[in-house]
Amino acid sequence: MASSVALPQVRPVNPALQFVKIIPGVLLLAAVGYAGKLLEANVGKYAKAHHWTFPNIEYVLWAILLGLAISNTVGVPEFFRAGVATYEFWLKAGIVLLGSRFLLGDVLKLGGTSLALVGIEITLAIAFMTFLGKLFGLKPKLTSLLAVGSAVCGVSAIIATQGAIDADEEDSSFAIAAILALGALSLFTFPLIGHALHLTDHAYGVWSGLAVDNTAEAAAAGALYSDAAGKLAVLTKTTRNALIGFVVLAYAIYWASKGQAQAVGNKAKFLWQKFPKFVLGFLLISILATAAFFSKEQIGALANLSRWAFLLTFAGVGLRTNFKALSKQGLKPFAVGAIGEVVIAAFTLGLVLAAQRIFGW
Amino acid sequence: MSEQAEVRAVTVKRGFSIDAWAVLLAFVLAALVRAGVFKHIPW
Repeated sequence: MASSVALPQVRPVNPALQFVKIIPGVLLLAAVGYAGKLLEANVGKYAKAHHWTFPNIEYVLWAILLGLAISNTVGVPEFFRAGVATYEFWLKAGIVLLGSRFLLGDVLKLGGTSLALVGIEITLAIAFMTFLGKLFGLKPKLTSLLAVGSAVCGVSAIIATQGAIDADEEDSSFAIAAILALGALSLFTFPLIGHALHLTDHAYGVWSGLAVDNTAEAAAAGALYSDAAGKLAVLTKTTRNALIGFVVLAYAIYWASKGQAQAVGNKAKFLWQKFPKFVLGFLLISILATAAFFSKEQIGALANLSRWAFLLTFAGVGLRTNFKALSKQGLKPFAVGAIGEVVIAAFTLGLVLAAQRIFGW
Repeated sequence: MSEQAEVRAVTVKRGFSIDAWAVLLAFVLAALVRAGVFKHIPW
């Protein structure tokens, strides 16, 4: 098992070979995810039959826990890794299909509210992480990567920014490891806090989408609370993702002005390149659903396809998280990330509670 | 750790990005549902 987080390697790929290589890992994702579903259905029954007191654990948590158990004990063999890595592909396909469960009016209404909250969250997160990076004496570009990772959308944003500001691969590895480790912790802490504060599905979902950095973890943290919270977590996180291009562009211009990154030529082209295209797919499916292009039964079928796609994602979240490897990435970036995340989570929780009062969620 | 594989595997040198493939798959599935090829998806 490698001990560092590597960055995208661009090398010639034979599509047919690539397809064959991912099959074992995709089957592993499906097996772990389906085992999670079976455990959800049967553990509770078994405990009840034996008069045990056992909490009702949903398939989301079972799938993540099974994945974590495999990854942190026997490890994920090389044979499966390419397929396991497709969890992000299933996540994005699931988000697009989830669009069928939102009418466009709801998307605009909820998205508009989310956009305002996301704008505040991004501003605060970047300012605070920059302050913390200086306080802890981190390298400026590592601080930029951590700020983007915690402000916008985790790993994708860090990778996009690394290329745009000519940051070291090592810095990106540190930032990615910190964001992934903290994302894993949020899966366990967010639902507990949400239940302790008796947050509504709406408030909790928006909070998860605002405060959890990586999209897969945000979707999982939401789904761990409830189906409705999962939907809203995805919508809010998608709003955050949509802003990735603007934040990366701002950082690229900033570092170019210091002579430490290449200047950005065509800004519109840059924004389009960085824009997550699955957001457009989500909106298009939502428009089709609003225009009654799909019957009620068909929307039910699309929603279930979305659930299956998310099931593979949740299995992947567990399988790709190896705590030992993450712990080797250095204490300082993790400390900065952890302090920043706690403050951002507390601040966004306050924002959501205020919005809950104003909008009556 | 498996993160390196996760990123590497989804990196395609030419053609569509992972986002574009995900959108394409979702739309193909939606079209098949709309056409009645998949009438019921169990959960």
